[in-house]
Amino acid sequence: MKLGGIKSKENAHDDSVWAVTWVPATANHAPLILTGSLDETVRLWRSDDLVLERTNTGHCLGVASVAAHPLGSVAASSSLDSFVRVFDVDSNATIATLEAPPSEVWQMRFDPKGSILAVAGGGSASVKLWDTSSWQIIATLSIPRPEGPKPSDKSGSKKFVLSVAWSPDGKRLACGSMDGTISVFDVPRGKFLHHLEGHFMPVRSLVYSPYDSRLLFTASDDGNVHMYDAEGKALVGTMSGHASWVLCVDVSPDGAAIATGSSDRSVRLWDLSMRASVQTMSNHTDQVWGVAFRPPGGSDVRGGRLVSVSDDKSISLYDYS
Amino acid sequence: MASVYIPVQNSEEEVRVALDQLPRDASDILDILKAEQAPLDLWLIIAREYFKQGKIDQFRQILEEGSSPEIDDYYADVRYERIAILNALGAYYSYLGKIETKQREKEDHFILATQYYNKASRIDMHEPSTWVGKGQLLLAKGEVEQASAAFKIVLDGDRDNVPALLGQACVEFNRGRYSDSLELYKRALQVFPNCPAAVRLGIGLCRYKLGQFEKAQQAFERVLQANPENVEALVALAIMDLRTSEATGIRKGMVKMQKAFEIYPYCAMALNYLANHFFFTGQHFLVEQLTETALAVTNHGPTKSHSYYNLARSYHSKGDYDKAGVYYMASVKEVNKPHEFVFPYYGLGQVQIKLGDFKSALSNFEKVLEVYPDNCETLKALGHIYVQLGQTDKGQDFIRRATKIDSRDAQAFLELGELLILSDTGAALDAFKTARTLFKKGGQEVPIELLNNIGVLQFERGEFELAQQTFKEALGDGIWLSFINVENKSSINAATSTLQFKDMQLFHDLESNDHHVEVSWDKVTVLFNLARLLEQLNESGTASILYRLILFKYPDYIDAYLRLAAIAKARNNILLSIELVNDALKVNDKCPNALSMLGELELKNDDWVKAKETLRAASDATEGKDSYATLSLGNWNYFAAVRNEKRNPKLEATHLEKAKELYTRVLIQHSANLYAANGAAVVLAEKGHFDVSKDIFTQVQEAASGSVFVQMPDVWINLAHVYFAQGNFSLAVKMYQNCLRKFYHNTDSQILLYLARTHYEAEQWQDCIKTLLRAIHLAPSNYTLRFDAGVAMQKFSASTLQKAKRTADEVRTTVAELQNAVRVFSQLSAASNLHIHGFDEKKIDTHVGYCNHLLSAAKVHLEAAEREEQQVRQRQELARQVALAEEARRKAEEQRKFQMERRKQEDELKRVQQQEEHFKRIKEQWKSSTHSKRRERSDDEEGGTGEKKRRKGGKRRKKDKHSKSRYDNEEPETDMMDEQEMEDEEADINYRDEPQTQMNDDAEENAQGLLAAAGLEDSDAEDETAAPSSSIARRRQALSESDDDEPLQRQTSPVRENSADMQLSEGEIRDGDKTNGDDVSD
Repeated sequence: MKLGGIKSKENAHDDSVWAVTWVPATANHAPLILTGSLDETVRLWRSDDLVLERTNTGHCLGVASVAAHPLGSVAASSSLDSFVRVFDVDSNATIATLEAPPSEVWQMRFDPKGSILAVAGGGSASVKLWDTSSWQIIATLSIPRPEGPKPSDKSGSKKFVLSVAWSPDGKRLACGSMDGTISVFDVPRGKFLHHLEGHFMPVRSLVYSPYDSRLLFTASDDGNVHMYDAEGKALVGTMSGHASWVLCVDVSPDGAAIATGSSDRSVRLWDLSMRASVQTMSNHTDQVWGVAFRPPGGSDVRGGRLVSVSDDKSISLYDYS
Repeated sequence: MASVYIPVQNSEEEVRVALDQLPRDASDILDILKAEQAPLDLWLIIAREYFKQGKIDQFRQILEEGSSPEIDDYYADVRYERIAILNALGAYYSYLGKIETKQREKEDHFILATQYYNKASRIDMHEPSTWVGKGQLLLAKGEVEQASAAFKIVLDGDRDNVPALLGQACVEFNRGRYSDSLELYKRALQVFPNCPAAVRLGIGLCRYKLGQFEKAQQAFERVLQANPENVEALVALAIMDLRTSEATGIRKGMVKMQKAFEIYPYCAMALNYLANHFFFTGQHFLVEQLTETALAVTNHGPTKSHSYYNLARSYHSKGDYDKAGVYYMASVKEVNKPHEFVFPYYGLGQVQIKLGDFKSALSNFEKVLEVYPDNCETLKALGHIYVQLGQTDKGQDFIRRATKIDSRDAQAFLELGELLILSDTGAALDAFKTARTLFKKGGQEVPIELLNNIGVLQFERGEFELAQQTFKEALGDGIWLSFINVENKSSINAATSTLQFKDMQLFHDLESNDHHVEVSWDKVTVLFNLARLLEQLNESGTASILYRLILFKYPDYIDAYLRLAAIAKARNNILLSIELVNDALKVNDKCPNALSMLGELELKNDDWVKAKETLRAASDATEGKDSYATLSLGNWNYFAAVRNEKRNPKLEATHLEKAKELYTRVLIQHSANLYAANGAAVVLAEKGHFDVSKDIFTQVQEAASGSVFVQMPDVWINLAHVYFAQGNFSLAVKMYQNCLRKFYHNTDSQILLYLARTHYEAEQWQDCIKTLLRAIHLAPSNYTLRFDAGVAMQKFSASTLQKAKRTADEVRTTVAELQNAVRVFSQLSAASNLHIHGFDEKKIDTHVGYCNHLLSAAKVHLEAAEREEQQVRQRQELARQVALAEEARRKAEEQRKFQMERRKQEDELKRVQQQEEHFKRIKEQWKSSTHSKRRERSDDEEGGTGEKKRRKGGKRRKKDKHSKSRYDNEEPETDMMDEQEMEDEEADINYRDEPQTQMNDDAEENAQGLLAAAGLEDSDAEDETAAPSSSIARRRQALSESDDDEPLQRQTSPVRENSADMQLSEGEIRDGDKTNGDDVSD
């Protein structure tokens, strides 16, 4: 397997680009790339030639996360001021503005069916689930507090939830937190299942394998990517190689590879059968905050695509084969 | 049978004496000789016969009798025979003297010989044979020049005198003029073709010396043909055979040598050669016997020296260095000049090195070097000695010379490399590489230590790929390959146990699966280094397996435990890390490295008192000599000094003083210790000596660049702090940014906080806010950062509103920023219900209140600004209209003028004169009307705007004034401010200052939060609000406080981490050196 650079867009934003996702193709548009930046804008890009489709404003403070509905018509963006803006991809019309104070907003993900938006709730130590039709909170998945917290202890902030991931069947939800623990929830029953241990530093990104509802990949500040059997609570493998924090991870649609972005400015491609890094892209000049494989489907799929965004204000697009 | 006939006196009869039947008692014969008054030549013949038969006493008796005074009287006219007898006696004593080994008797013999020759000379001054005899005597006594003079006298008389020729040849030989000597021998042979073998021996020796080996050999062989028992010829031939250095030649040579030995067991030369041979065959007993005999039989200096040398060598090789030294010394004593025989010097030098007497060894090797200036072994030995004597530079010079002379001596390059490691790693690496190439070229196996050293050096220079290759080459084939190689990894499924740092199951499994889990002792260091390298390459999983492999086989390898602990620590798994360090301490509970690490981990766990004890123990374990432990204690004291927010000045001073003392102690021991220098500079900065500390930081920074093992981001930060404290914000910003990029991959939110604060002080609000947002993004759970961001937004807004000139856009941004600030603060206020984040709710509420107030004020400002903008727009519009009107009027006028002109022209002809007056009147009329019109209009204009203004001003007068007085101090209306404004302004100042103090405090709190001084967040905020009037003073204080604190707080953990790494890597190198060092001394 191999990554080939297709195009890089320098100064795609006026400041660091912090978030990226693919908007699946619809009848109205081909797959689009959605990026969010510290410059308070969210931008839509046409794939392959990286032409700017539209710039959405309206956020205050930096845009920390973006998410796209699996059907491709609706997307959400969130910023450091803890507002979530849900908008229509084609018209940019605001569909809803979500907030759930005092919980702040970090990573967001739509469930595979598109009926729920999961939002990592930061210091509230919980994940909020929003219904995508009524835009009301339907559940709050809270991480149980460790027993007997001392009042002066700042451990309260340690279960700070940073990242969320849906299992491909939509039944499980995993979230990563500042102290490195990963919590797994049973969504239909709204129940906390267990922690996955192994990281002791923030887990900023995690993703389930598209074919295996048990297999979870996690990226942590300790520089390693872990593979967990999320049901069996077991650490299946460790992949080390990044020189600094691993900020983001995504799994390829064929489930054979993962891509990671790191503070060491590189994007790495890992072959899961060898559990080893097979390629390192070092075209970015600053931390790589987001990587995303293009989801399968759509009319004009020409091989796989991977996009990465970085503090260097640029977006890079690669061919994955 | 030959016989002589003694004529009977006065008769024709003769007495027949059969020469082989000479009576035992010489007196019988003497009696006959005397009685019959036999001719003296008969005396001589008989004496010679006795001599030949080895009956020396009889020989001497006859000759002494024959040279007695009576005989002289009786045979007074028989001169020649008398001389012959005397000469015979002289020659006899010469010979005795020559072979006598005892000095006194030797002298006696020579004196006797001289007497006889002198007597002979008195009989006839010119008798050549006497001169020849004298010459021989002188030769025997070693007086070569005088001997030559004696022979010359003879040869002047008779240039073909064979004995004289031989004597002279001998003289020339001794003088080293071998070709002259050869000529003389040849002439002797021509004159007397049947002369004894000795002549040919002489020829042979000359030819040998002249390098004509074949002819020399022929000559010796001729000698042997003539006399198969000629020892000298045999020895000579044997030596020539030995010289061939071929097995057959040597064997032939030894056969001859043995034969010579059998013929005459006391030839020292032969004995030496035999000893030499047996030395090489290792028969030391024989060597000793032979050399002892040789020593007993010869008095010849060089030969004795050889013998001693052989003996010494024998003992040397047996390892009896004392005896060897004594004999080498004896050998050296026999040598006048090192040029003649230099080997014993070399041997002596070697033995002295072994015995540790480097100075003497040095002088001996230097003598060898005088003789053989290009001898590599000597150069290397000298280099080694100089290194031992501490003169590394000289040592390097010598070894470098050796490598230059013999560029194929791998060992020399190896040694050179080892010498260079400390001073010049690049050159050392080159030397090692050359050595490796040479070993390979020579088909030898490259020593593991060499490869290890190359690897470590490459590692140190950051050539990680190369280093990895080198280590792998050094390791060769083994079980480790299955862990290192990516391809095999999955087969063993090592990954599953990567996180179980103490899990050895993997290896047990391997063993039970018939894998051979073995690590030979000489590869442990390499394996460790490889693991260390993998860590550097971020392959910490593989590294951990290798460390565990080492521990599996060598459970006492403390460094491996420590590295595992370090990996665990890097993953923030403190408890596991402590456990691993404790394992290391089980092996050696006094291991300073392990103790230091434990102390550091305890600090990370906030266990201050325990940490101090552990660090003390580490320091004690090394008797205070381990700078790391001392440094850690220094750091401990430093943090103890600044950790408490409510400072106890006395306590602070003591701690600081103690820290300084500890740093200084380290600096005294190791003047080049960067960390101690850094620490000392921090204390200085703490005391306000910024210039000095800046100098130190700068130097440390320079020194710290260049090696992968020395990573000192702290010094960058500290330097930036100093710049900051001195108000050099732009430099501080650059320094922070560089540090962040260079050492932290831009991931350190703490440095971003420093950066933000610098922007804040430099009043670069947008940069400040952006920086804080980045920091929040990196450390989302740090609510203090949010608070700071809120403060920065608030400050930005306030300062914008204070500006004299501002556009509506600016005000609009301000409003947006203020809204953000309000949101941030209210979120914080909500969140702080849930958690404790290190700040007071009240404080946040104050901020929210102020922001809201500002917001409302800003809205008014916004309206004002917008109105102003509109006004401006209107004014512009008006001006434009006026201009338009003017234009139109001018056009109309022109038109009129034009028409008038035309009309004038038309009318001109007709009624120039008649209507002149009328025309004038009209013109007058026009003119006056335009004037008045104009005046009217401008009046209107002024009045209009004035009125408008007035109206507006009336309506909004207060505000207007307010803003004017506030922002434009030159305005004379200042004193007209009303109460409301006063209040406003006061509040403004109040707030303006407050955030600043808070910012400072926040920073402090942040930093101290790291130290987790419990219950830090106390009533500071209340103080502030209580005493706003003194805020400026406070501000300053707070400023200086925080300036100093922040740097310092930063410092701990990175310093320690790095130095832990440092130490370990140092340890590795040391390790490598050790093994090599042993090799060298071998």
